[in-house]
Amino acid sequence: MTDDMDLEQMFANARTQRDHLPDALSARMLADAAQVQAGRATMEPAARPGLWAQLRAGLGGWTGLSGLATACAAGVWIGLAPPDFLPDPVGFVYQQEVEVDLIFGVDETGILPGILTEDG
Amino acid sequence: MTQPIDAPNDAPCDDALLVLFANGDGQAARDLTTRLGPRTYAVALRVLGNRAEAEDVAQEAMMRLWRVAPKWEQGRAKVSTWLYRVTLNLCLDIKRRQRSVDLDAVPEPEDAGPSVAERLQDTSRMDALQQALMQLPDRQRQAVVLRHIEELSNPEIAGIMDISVEAVESLTARGKRALTAALSGRRAELGYDDD
Repeated sequence: MTDDMDLEQMFANARTQRDHLPDALSARMLADAAQVQAGRATMEPAARPGLWAQLRAGLGGWTGLSGLATACAAGVWIGLAPPDFLPDPVGFVYQQEVEVDLIFGVDETGILPGILTEDG
Repeated sequence: MTQPIDAPNDAPCDDALLVLFANGDGQAARDLTTRLGPRTYAVALRVLGNRAEAEDVAQEAMMRLWRVAPKWEQGRAKVSTWLYRVTLNLCLDIKRRQRSVDLDAVPEPEDAGPSVAERLQDTSRMDALQQALMQLPDRQRQAVVLRHIEELSNPEIAGIMDISVEAVESLTARGKRALTAALSGRRAELGYDDD
């Protein structure tokens, strides 16, 4: 048993035993498999939808989501380029300062009569 | 050299069986157990040299296969390669735990009944080769078992052990030399002188 041929013979003998699986071990493996399959079957219906899916459902699905997107786009557009018949929204945010020279009676802006009339 | 874990030509491949298993097919579980279970157990037994531990490792390795089935990516890796790797890692975990046990805390075994050598042979039925294998370092033993008992190719062993092909060749060569030396000194003890 000192040369490679003896060792190769021992390897060959070992290979004849490699296909044996004890019955009890095989049964345990199959029981595990059945347990995993059964667990998976009961888990699947309970799977929760993702955050995005929940948000989409809360807003009424794709129809509601597209309506919301359209409304947002229209709001941004009106804010940036308002129609002529609407006042400039920037004027509401930043109150315009107007300087009127009362001492010399020169109203270059032409708004003084209106202000005096409103105040009585 | 034959391929490990052979299947008939008309039988579904391991990948396909895993898909069937993930879909709840009980026959797929039986086919996979028949095809992969024996080799998983054989490798664990040769690497660990202990029947009970080998059974635990083989069962755990197959359990991990059942659990990974729904997420298995077909074509990414061979199922058998993946299973060999899991099995060897589980074997290494056991060996590491055994080494970490404080030997001073282990009580002396009682000296009643059969001798230590007889009990080793009776309880785990280790043959001469197995006893010599157990004297090798873990990685050498793994490489020798995969190469010379499981008959895997060097590249496949390299993939399983995550080392280079050259490293596999080195491990198996050194392992064989060590086995030859260990067995040559035990010829009379093992009763081979009568052959």
